[in-house]
Amino acid sequence: MGIVFTRLFSSLFGNKEARILVLGLDNAGKTTILYRLQMGEVVSTIPTIGFNVETVQYNNIKFQVWDLGGQTSIRPYWRCYFPNTQAIIYVVDSSDTDRLVIAKEEFHAILEEEELKGAVVLLFANKQDLPGALDDAAITEALELHKIKNRQWSIFKTSAIKGEGLFEGLDWLSNTLKSGGG
Amino acid sequence: MFSLFYGLWKYMFTKMEFHVLILGIGKAGKTTFLEKVKSQYSNLEGLPPDRIVPTVGLNIGRVEASNTKLVFWDLGGQPGLRSIWEKYYEEAHAVVYVIDASCQSRFEDSKSALEKVLRHEDLQGAPLLILANKQDCEGAVPADELSQYLDLKKLNERVYAFQAVSATDGLGIKESVNWLVDAMERSERTDMLRGRAGSSVV
Repeated sequence: MGIVFTRLFSSLFGNKEARILVLGLDNAGKTTILYRLQMGEVVSTIPTIGFNVETVQYNNIKFQVWDLGGQTSIRPYWRCYFPNTQAIIYVVDSSDTDRLVIAKEEFHAILEEEELKGAVVLLFANKQDLPGALDDAAITEALELHKIKNRQWSIFKTSAIKGEGLFEGLDWLSNTLKSGGG
Repeated sequence: MFSLFYGLWKYMFTKMEFHVLILGIGKAGKTTFLEKVKSQYSNLEGLPPDRIVPTVGLNIGRVEASNTKLVFWDLGGQPGLRSIWEKYYEEAHAVVYVIDASCQSRFEDSKSALEKVLRHEDLQGAPLLILANKQDCEGAVPADELSQYLDLKKLNERVYAFQAVSATDGLGIKESVNWLVDAMERSERTDMLRGRAGSSVV
């Protein structure tokens, strides 16, 4: 009985919680994005070995955001964090055209993971402030996003440095998670 | 041997799942239509129209109607995003094409995008439902007037229909879904897609 009331209460007033993983190659801007979302500032970062985790409150959703280091040698450890994840934010350095193929391969490998089957996918085409950055349509093409047919996805042009596009992405994420997800 | 029977059993008794592609130029109301369908046919409450932002990617809606499973794929319609539409054609059973009937200045763009869709060979035989959306808005043209304007001569062989809808207040949603289910069940394309899926199971 108590549980019923607790549920009712939390569905009326409570905040939803969502566990989000921020993934992407090294130097894509994951940590900068995390702290931009959490504190609204640009912090100077060093390559992440391990993870950073912060809670970001937005649109009545408490996002527990895990930023995992992206270097080749530590990517295999991403999967330790996969269970119970509602959404993935995949960050791409849009100006690093040489490594888009690797970004694509890592991305599709993530989508294959059984434990992430139910997660919705948000992409950040990051570093739009840099010259030569590809736009969202070009990144869509390069990452072959059209191969995703069984879950919702969306891509946003972002600049973590300027703070552009990040909250638009979170808007999409909170709408999607509220309306039942992928 | 077991897998053969299992495949056969699955083939015969699994509820058919239909893929419906929702296309149309930007701001036509594709996502609003999808959310309305979701709210009427599933226990999920759809997003209210004022929360819907332009789609850059894929929205999915899974609903059950008349004992069939429908999977809607709603793709973004802004010019740069239309290039990915065709990647979804091959697996689509039917197409819903949404047009803002209240915005005559964009009919031309709508028409040429639609003609391009219909020319694509991967969509051969797919039933087409054209929605004259935003009937709640002032100046919205009725469905028959829109059909005259579009003047789609090459549709002769294709099963198609026009439907006046308002994705915000729900006008015409039920009729649209009923038409789609009915058209897909009769469509030869459905048999063709089922054949392909069946052979990959066994």
